[in-house]
Amino acid sequence: MAAAALTNQLNALVNNMFAMGLLDDQFQQLQMLQDSTAPDFVSEVVTLFCDDGERIICELARQLEKPNVDFDRVDSYVHQLKGSSASVGAQKVKNTCIQFREFCQQRSRDGCLKTLDLVRTEFYDLRSKFQAMLQIMNRKAESTEKKKNCDAEAEGAS
Amino acid sequence: MGREVEEGVTRVLLVDDSPVDRRVVQLLLSSNACAGSFHVIAVDSAKKAIEFLGLKEEGRKEQEQAIDMVLTDYCMPEMTGYELLKAIKALSPLKPIPVIVMSSENEPQRISRCLNAGAEDFIVKPLQSKDVQRLRNCSSVNTQFCNAGSDIKLLPSDHIVVDATAAALLPSSRRRVLRSSSVELSHYFPFLFKFILLVYAILCLGELLHRWSNGCFLNLWCA
Repeated sequence: MAAAALTNQLNALVNNMFAMGLLDDQFQQLQMLQDSTAPDFVSEVVTLFCDDGERIICELARQLEKPNVDFDRVDSYVHQLKGSSASVGAQKVKNTCIQFREFCQQRSRDGCLKTLDLVRTEFYDLRSKFQAMLQIMNRKAESTEKKKNCDAEAEGAS
Repeated sequence: MGREVEEGVTRVLLVDDSPVDRRVVQLLLSSNACAGSFHVIAVDSAKKAIEFLGLKEEGRKEQEQAIDMVLTDYCMPEMTGYELLKAIKALSPLKPIPVIVMSSENEPQRISRCLNAGAEDFIVKPLQSKDVQRLRNCSSVNTQFCNAGSDIKLLPSDHIVVDATAAALLPSSRRRVLRSSSVELSHYFPFLFKFILLVYAILCLGELLHRWSNGCFLNLWCA
């Protein structure tokens, strides 16, 4: 697919994510910082967030399964997830983390479990969209590279 | 890490337990927008930061690379950014390394506590491009600028709740200006003391020579 079409596809996906409240202006800040010195800025940060988020959610599930829940520890993990969500611009996940922390402070296991389900759903939804975004970005990069090589060959031939 | 760093480049020790936040700050400070003015060394805990700075202190004769600024997260396991801030200020009281604290929580008490402990600034996360100038202002590479603009710089940015904290912060910001002046003065005390001793020694020597030469004249007169 041509680079222009891929760009349109990428823009449509990202705009949709903004419209649904999944992303906020922090993500735009990251996009603006992507340049020739850091061409993979966004994909690096997004990949790190997906890996880190997965790790934290698994740990939260493990902590909440214990008979005696250490709510301070749970709160600490939620705080981490909230922080990395904020850094990436993952607005919906960040806001759910804020609710999660309130249940931690109330020492409510049921509240924490319900909010964990919610944050897990939202995180996986966001992650699947991020993965689609990364695929489009990779294809766009490959397409650009291919075009450069074709142009170079054509110049060489002429 | 042992390589030479250009002059005018601010060497930042970044301390954050979140891999996402570390990467975002690293990329932000190495972007085109910053035009190569930062060299970032990242560690994932306050303990590692202390070890790094401790090594640099001891090995300073061999190592040319020092740190111009520490940028630390507040909430970290085992040792917090606040504890790290206090430890850094205690490590080199005569030449304190500037420390900027970051936090995702916009808590006035936390901000006051850090500024009172000597933090040059407090930035609410996530770090953005507009915060980069604040980092430049606070680095020891730009100390003159930092002191000159300190009355204005020390007031909170739009990240911080101005109405609630401006009054609280102003006295501490004035204290910080005074503290930084007194730290600079105390830095010169050893040299001043040595200079006074030297002048006294020269005066004493001069007096001794004068008396000796008078004594010789007397002897000559007597002979």
